[in-house]
Amino acid sequence: MGSLKEDLKRQIIEQLNLEEVSVEDIADDALLFNDEGLGLDSIDALELIVLLEKYHGIQLTNPEEGKEAFRSIDTMAEYIRKRKAD
Amino acid sequence: MNKPEFYISAASTISHLPTFKNVGFSSVIGPLEANSVLITPDYKGYIEAGLLRRMSKILRMSVACANDCLEQAGVEQPDAIVVGTGLGCLQDTEKFLNTSQTIEGLLPPTAFIQSTHNTMAGQVSLTIGNHGYNMTHTQNTLSFEHAMLDAMMLLQEGDSHILVGAADEYIEILTEIMAQLAPGQDGPMTSGSSFFVLSKERNEQALAVVKDVATIGLVEDVQQNVGDFMADNALTIEDLDLILYAGKDNFPGNAVDYLALSGIYSTASAFALHYAVDVFQTDKKISNVLICNSLRKSNLGLMLVRAVEA
Repeated sequence: MGSLKEDLKRQIIEQLNLEEVSVEDIADDALLFNDEGLGLDSIDALELIVLLEKYHGIQLTNPEEGKEAFRSIDTMAEYIRKRKAD
Repeated sequence: MNKPEFYISAASTISHLPTFKNVGFSSVIGPLEANSVLITPDYKGYIEAGLLRRMSKILRMSVACANDCLEQAGVEQPDAIVVGTGLGCLQDTEKFLNTSQTIEGLLPPTAFIQSTHNTMAGQVSLTIGNHGYNMTHTQNTLSFEHAMLDAMMLLQEGDSHILVGAADEYIEILTEIMAQLAPGQDGPMTSGSSFFVLSKERNEQALAVVKDVATIGLVEDVQQNVGDFMADNALTIEDLDLILYAGKDNFPGNAVDYLALSGIYSTASAFALHYAVDVFQTDKKISNVLICNSLRKSNLGLMLVRAVEA
């Protein structure tokens, strides 16, 4: 799980072009869409959906699932693990 | 009946020469050297980091120039934002098309969202929270002149201050298709952005007066059309202290080929307008300037400007 979270952080930085953020800056439990976390917005949410398909082969079609899955790195990693186990 | 005149209260340009925040640049710049690059400011001073990260070159240039202009003019919210662009957001268009050819499944949305021509005007309005008229004109090499005409009509209808500008960006494929884009021109293709605050009334910030703007299509004789335009403004070509022209035309007197300074892009006439504004600040002997945009021979754009003191 540790390496999946690291990979996710790297992928998010690249996909969202977070020029001044490093892997170390993103806490596993930081809220991605909160100004005290990464402060992402709705366009970033679409980019995260693309990221899930591009790097992990997972299609997210239910918006309610996305709301929970994209809360933090922890929840994203958990969502990926669960979908891959299904 | 006298034609209404309008005032340029602020001007800002990012180009391949040191034009940004550099009053007096017209007296120190020379022709572009081969392999010149865009000279950009530190965008973080003009654009919020959260927005900056997903902006392409043309968006960064446009938003920085627009914000600089509003600051210069002391105008918090313009009544309208009008932008001209010949080819729009090429970097994002190219990125989106490339990914659509190489990626199967979902495509990243940002490049697609930002690939439309009106992204510059939209991003400027989002940056400053403006809810006024927001328009983008794309009319090939006359895009900036059309934006100016739109802004002038809005001022006649009662608006006070309008942010009007132009931007175009270079991507590599333009060099390959230059013969079709700018037939007969042989300078380097470049990127550039120029923004202005155009005001109805003269104020302390007034830098220049816009007397007239015209666009003419299917042009066969540039000199004849210039003569007619001057006559329409009760002037002759001999009354001009400076003519800024695009490329190959021959004009008498003090004439400067502005494409040698700006490089070639569809809205380079906006660079020429800022050059004229800057000349007025540095050379008080110059009163009347004509910008003659014949970048494409069949499309003629004419802008007549004069010094505020004249």
